[in-house]
Amino acid sequence: MQVTFKVYRKEPGKDAKPAYSNHTVELDGDATVMDGLLKIRDEQDATLAFRAACMRGYCGECMIRANGKTCTSCTSKVSSFTQKSPEVTVDPVRHMPVLKDLVSDWQSFMWDKVDRIKPWLEPVEPGADGESLLPESAMADIRKTMSCYYCGLCDEGCTVLPVDFDFIGPAALMKANRLIYDPRDTITRERFKLAEGPRGLWDCVHCFEASEHCPRGIMPTERIMAMRDKAFQMGIQNDSAARHHYSFAKSVKKSGWLDEGRLAIESAGLTNIKGLAKLVPIAAKALRRGKAPIPYIHHKSPGSAQVRRIIQKAEEKNR
Amino acid sequence: MKYAFYTGCVSRGGCPELYTSANKVAGRLGIEMEEMKDVACNGAGVLPQYLSDPINARTFAKAERMGHKSLMTICSTCTGVMGAANMRFKDDPAYREKINKEYLADEGLEYKGSLEVKHLLWVLFEDYGIDKLKGEVKRPLTGLRVSPFYGCFMRRPAEVVTPTKEYAGRKSYLENLISAVGAELTDIAGKGKCCGFPILTANEANSLAMTAKHTGEAREKGAHCMVTPCPLCHLNLDGNQDRAAKQAGSEIDLPILHLPQFVGLALGFTPEELELKRHIVSTKEVETQVNMLA
Repeated sequence: MQVTFKVYRKEPGKDAKPAYSNHTVELDGDATVMDGLLKIRDEQDATLAFRAACMRGYCGECMIRANGKTCTSCTSKVSSFTQKSPEVTVDPVRHMPVLKDLVSDWQSFMWDKVDRIKPWLEPVEPGADGESLLPESAMADIRKTMSCYYCGLCDEGCTVLPVDFDFIGPAALMKANRLIYDPRDTITRERFKLAEGPRGLWDCVHCFEASEHCPRGIMPTERIMAMRDKAFQMGIQNDSAARHHYSFAKSVKKSGWLDEGRLAIESAGLTNIKGLAKLVPIAAKALRRGKAPIPYIHHKSPGSAQVRRIIQKAEEKNR
Repeated sequence: MKYAFYTGCVSRGGCPELYTSANKVAGRLGIEMEEMKDVACNGAGVLPQYLSDPINARTFAKAERMGHKSLMTICSTCTGVMGAANMRFKDDPAYREKINKEYLADEGLEYKGSLEVKHLLWVLFEDYGIDKLKGEVKRPLTGLRVSPFYGCFMRRPAEVVTPTKEYAGRKSYLENLISAVGAELTDIAGKGKCCGFPILTANEANSLAMTAKHTGEAREKGAHCMVTPCPLCHLNLDGNQDRAAKQAGSEIDLPILHLPQFVGLALGFTPEELELKRHIVSTKEVETQVNMLA
């Protein structure tokens, strides 16, 4: 089949606007996008830059966007992109600086953040035989996270990173997860502190994009939420997240329902004059528009006593 | 069609207009809702699962006892959090039994795992029928350009939202609804992304940047308004839009309609009846368009 690739091009260090180069090549029916890129480089333009390593969809090195869809080019069939027209537009992955053509700066986007959480085990002193043996069941929980190969697809799909490049991102949080849940690790509290920020664990919006993007089924979003639960349980939180969580739980415990007015005030912090002052115009506008009744009354659920009993019991069991 | 109606916190708090409009629309369409008053917040993804699961089991047990097969919500977050909890209870009877025994037995309750959690949007398509809804339209919203905004939990995770192929359509219900009531779809890339609300206290700047991004995109593409099935999104997209626009250095002023308000306009209710005046961003633009159709 004859296919025309429209490939994103950018020269390093040059301010000139990125452009596209067109390459028409002859490919087998089952060719991958990577086959196409290799053919272009071999036959038409030796200066085309892209990454490739394992060539079997494991390492994530060759991630690009084909017709707007993020994929590993080594496993994505060209034919799946040419159903409507024999053209495939190839772009670098989103949200990170492009070094040249399809090669992006993963170092600042992901690896520096993985480094941030001390990506190695700090184990207990090994036994006399030099080993820290564990039953398999003790590792079951992190087997899945251990299978992460840092392809970065979760970071690419993340909804926070496009607005904040310095957010730690789900990939680095999965490294934290792998270590926090390892029974041999001795620095859980420190690890949580490293993971939480600034711009860490509590800045995740739990939008489930990371889980949807993960090719290994690691479910980063669910794990991030579980890590928050664990931090909550262990009392390890930064001030703002802690205030928000405790106020939320207190409200549900008291009345069954969430008291949004109180939550806003308590999340800002009762002694945080600047934060509270910022709420005044918002509250004034909301009241003017009839967003909340005047005087402000939060109603109790008739079942609030039962809900309180359940929460107290669950807290005791999980202490 | 009869449902146990779970109002959620926001429709009884920060967005009373959602409660009013949902009741009006359901009433007009003959969707019977029995409001659950004796229940609690589902945790909204903020409370840890070990607290929220028992609370949700209690809610489900109550709905079962009321004789319902489906629990209807009017909030994406409620749908997602309760849907995920329900999935755990259905998939793992031993876990359900444990929760029943440890937390519900004291009150003489038991959740048998028979319930389905559905958002009003899903009810309209899967139970009521979009063609039937079309037949009820009294005021086709011709010329009104509308952008959809789902809220994360109406899109993901797949296990809850689209557990089988049969439910694949859930990812385009809003677009189909906009066209069905005669309005014009102004599609945006950010329709399935996060509005930023969950991190409003943890990182306000990022939260507002997300709100500005999505409302700004709709505005740039020429939308008159946005419609969302999630009141938490509404709190950010409407309630914080002016601050978000200021931070982004732009003017946006995009009215954000709750799902039942939007449907209600097509059913012939007036903007006053649907309490559009309670919004923070002025809805004048929508009212002008709608009044031209009246």
